[in-house]
Amino acid sequence: MMFWRLVLQLLRGNRGRLAVAIVAIVSGAAVISALLNLDLGVQNKLTQEFRTLGANIVISPASGAPAHISDAEVPSLMPEHDVLEVMQQLPPTQVAAAAPYLYIVARAQNIPVVVAGTWLDQAQKLDATWKLEGSWITSRADDSHCLVGRNVARRLHLAVGNPLELHYLERSAQCSVAGIVDAGGAEDNQVFATLRAVQSLANLPGQIGVAQVSVTGTAPVVADYAARLATALPQYQVRPIRQVAEAEGALLGRIRLLIVSMALLILILTALCVLGTMAALAMERRKDVGLMKSLGGSISRIVGIFLAEVGVLGAAGGLLGAIIGAALSYWMGLRVFGTAISPRWEVFPTTIVLMIVVALAGALPLRMLGNVKPAEILRGE
Amino acid sequence: MATVVQVENLRKEFGNVRALDGVSFRVDAGEWIAIMGPSGSGKTTLINILGGLDTPTSGQAAVDGTDVARLDEAGLTRFRAEKIGFIFQQFHLVPYLTAVENVMLAQYFHSTTDEKEAQQSLERVGLGDRIEHLPAQLSGGEQQRVAVARALINHPKLILADEPTGNLDEANEDIVLSLLRELHTEGHTILMVTHAPSIGRLADRRIEFAHGRLVQAAATSLKPELA
Amino acid sequence: MFARLLGESFARNPRRKVLTAAALVIGMAVATATLTIALEVGDRLAREFRSLGANLLVTPESDTLPVEIGGVDYRPVDEGAYLNEADLGKLKTIFWRHNILGFTPFLDLPAYVSETGGATTLIGTWYQHEVPVPDGTKFETGASATHPWWKVQGRWFGDGADECVVGAGLAQKNPAAFAIGKAIHVAQNSGSGSGRPLLITGIISTGDAEDNAVLLPLSVAQEISGHPGKFRQLFVSALTKPADALAERGERAQTDKNIQLTPTEYDRWFCSPYISSIGFQIRTVLPGTDVHAIRRVAETEGRILTRVGTLLWIVTLAALGAAALAVAATSATTVLERRAEIGVMKALGASNALVGGIFLAEQVLLAIAGGAVGFFVGVGMARFLGESVFGTPASPQLILFPVVLALAALIAMIGSLVPLRRAAHFRPAVILRGE
Repeated sequence: MMFWRLVLQLLRGNRGRLAVAIVAIVSGAAVISALLNLDLGVQNKLTQEFRTLGANIVISPASGAPAHISDAEVPSLMPEHDVLEVMQQLPPTQVAAAAPYLYIVARAQNIPVVVAGTWLDQAQKLDATWKLEGSWITSRADDSHCLVGRNVARRLHLAVGNPLELHYLERSAQCSVAGIVDAGGAEDNQVFATLRAVQSLANLPGQIGVAQVSVTGTAPVVADYAARLATALPQYQVRPIRQVAEAEGALLGRIRLLIVSMALLILILTALCVLGTMAALAMERRKDVGLMKSLGGSISRIVGIFLAEVGVLGAAGGLLGAIIGAALSYWMGLRVFGTAISPRWEVFPTTIVLMIVVALAGALPLRMLGNVKPAEILRGE
Repeated sequence: MATVVQVENLRKEFGNVRALDGVSFRVDAGEWIAIMGPSGSGKTTLINILGGLDTPTSGQAAVDGTDVARLDEAGLTRFRAEKIGFIFQQFHLVPYLTAVENVMLAQYFHSTTDEKEAQQSLERVGLGDRIEHLPAQLSGGEQQRVAVARALINHPKLILADEPTGNLDEANEDIVLSLLRELHTEGHTILMVTHAPSIGRLADRRIEFAHGRLVQAAATSLKPELA
Repeated sequence: MFARLLGESFARNPRRKVLTAAALVIGMAVATATLTIALEVGDRLAREFRSLGANLLVTPESDTLPVEIGGVDYRPVDEGAYLNEADLGKLKTIFWRHNILGFTPFLDLPAYVSETGGATTLIGTWYQHEVPVPDGTKFETGASATHPWWKVQGRWFGDGADECVVGAGLAQKNPAAFAIGKAIHVAQNSGSGSGRPLLITGIISTGDAEDNAVLLPLSVAQEISGHPGKFRQLFVSALTKPADALAERGERAQTDKNIQLTPTEYDRWFCSPYISSIGFQIRTVLPGTDVHAIRRVAETEGRILTRVGTLLWIVTLAALGAAALAVAATSATTVLERRAEIGVMKALGASNALVGGIFLAEQVLLAIAGGAVGFFVGVGMARFLGESVFGTPASPQLILFPVVLALAALIAMIGSLVPLRRAAHFRPAVILRGE
């Protein structure tokens, strides 16, 4: 008990001298814990941002898309039921969006046009960059409406509310243009309707051409999910879309490395501040060390008291800093990403341990006090 | 009478300087010895060696049968805690510990702390109402009295005092000296360095130093010293 | 006399000076390194994003509706409009030509491949092709720049050679015929004779429609289709700056007659590498084209770059703050522990101003010296950091040198002022007594 009483008195009695070290440790801890929280949060946020790039896994029939599409050609197909059932079974939490597609080349006003049948509510999530003039088709059962890409609208002189007649082989269907899509991509050249409507037009009930899935997570997570899907659907092809996964992985890696490097630099600087303070403190403590030695204190016990003092400083400063850092990262999340990053509990013990290590590293001058010769200090003459 | 200190041909050199040049003498239990001489004569060096704070270059210095010259660092640490009670000219109290904590510090390095015992020792030196004070809140004389309490708490075989009243004014000097007289009456062995003849006269024996050697021993003790 | 006092003050207690110097050097090194990286990081990250591929698409202005599924155009060759390959060199003459990292033309055509016994789509393109630029130089570009995730097993076809790369889907269906080293025979339709032999040099797997197609050099596709020197669409990969309010106005001003940019606004917009201004400049040199941002890529990139940029600046500020604290603390503790010296000087009759002046000067000089050394250490650190994080070392920004020195001096001054002011109030006796 006396040991801790000594440590406590040391801390209380030297408040002024230790001020700089305390400030350094608290601010270092705040920044480190903020960065650690951010690191975890940034990964999540960025992978979510990357989801706007669209699907990263595609499921298609083994024989692939047809070599040549004309109105007369039947596309390669797979049963809707099979695929979707499997997708339901695998964990939905990682899946940001998933939709089946059936593409046919129909004719409108005697011009060949690609018609895509899908679940438009999911398609919207898969492709968050679509801009729409008009309104979405929200129900999967709505057979009477369709969305047209802006190039199609231009070419066929269509406006919102106009009727559109589609012909496929000998069959035809009517729909009303609910909205005009500006996708900034291939979708601008396509017509979108509900899956059921297109299946009905093509007389291919229960069939789809391809399924697209958007999975949140880093490249390994995506690959793992794709592998599981592939095992569950051996008769079909399940492939990750490499364009997205690779770029994402590389970028995330770089950002994290940068953050970690900065954190390391800050740790070094904090240790320096502590070192500076401790060096000054050590000068003042030489007398006390000499005295304690004259009382029969051994080097290890005396230095032990000082190290405990520094350790407590590191722990307390680390805790306070971690709390401030949690608040900081919350604010930074709001400022940078628009949504709060909630602090993780693992960051607290990590920060505290880091700060204790930093503080002890900076306490080197105190450790060297062990070499003080009592006679030198107490020489009266 | 038991011999507390036996010094035989003690030498201490600091580079080319001979601080102690072959000193021999003896102190018996219960004696109050005053070590006197001009500055630079080696008095403090002798006290430091006897207190285990410094090691001699050659010779013997036995305190309560233990030869300080032969002790290693661990041995010296134990020696300082168990055999010696030191009283310094500058008091050397730890500034951020209270009076009772300063006394308990000595207990801490010896064995275990006993706050009651520490409190009693402070009452013994007349500081019962200053137990929780910090050194900055005590006068010079009070600080030195705390130092005395600290020096006694582990029942040392030998009390070493280096100019104990050098930093005190007259009134406080008297208080501390009468305290030392009480200790002497109780049978403690005291080795005191002083430059003031008036204080030296309080002791049983005076040992004079000059240039690292014993010069003269004016004594009222039984055994004459070798010159 | 002042200089002499300063010199003597400097020479005392060298060990303590070393510690102070170390703190200063490392503190300013960190400041230099973080600032160097921060200045460059936006650019580097933008380059990273180019691994996502093209962000601009150029198509003929008046065109029939592309019959496009999964990125492949299935229109017959005589339908729709074409663009001229010969015009492409002009892309490297626009104001932002150095930001055009690559471009790739595509000519998709349905053709007949004997080995499949049926119709197969051919995708004519460049992998690595030299484009003659009007100023006399050559620019090497192709799918290697705009579609960096296209990886082949084997190797890519030689530019203009009778070689091809087949999709993994085709290889899976008919591994005997579609293997590396085999030749396939391609013709425009089934009746055109035995077909042109192409050597398979590689197999590609992208997860998209290319997996069921044959990729071949653009010139060969042009010959087979009977449209020499033509292509249907162009993908462009440009290094852009994330869009902000001005960029959006500039973009809308293209189509909306109600929105006009003032001459200054126009200059700023034109001279900033926004995707809308680069697109505008491309349309100017390639008449008869529609140039659109591939919004998925452009927007994601823009959003992430802005966010990450902000984040990294905040982190940089934190690192700078830590550096400043280290330097200030060093100065402060140095002054604090030399209170005895201050006491002595004052006891000898030195005025507060003189004493303060000497210490301040000493700390500032030390800081500047430390800052100078720290700058070079920091440059090294930045190079190392740039190398390990981005793969290429960060180049030193010389403009930071005076900035870092000034910063060091300023912080040292502030750090020293506080303890000096307190010391000024102490009476020498108090200091000399050692309290």
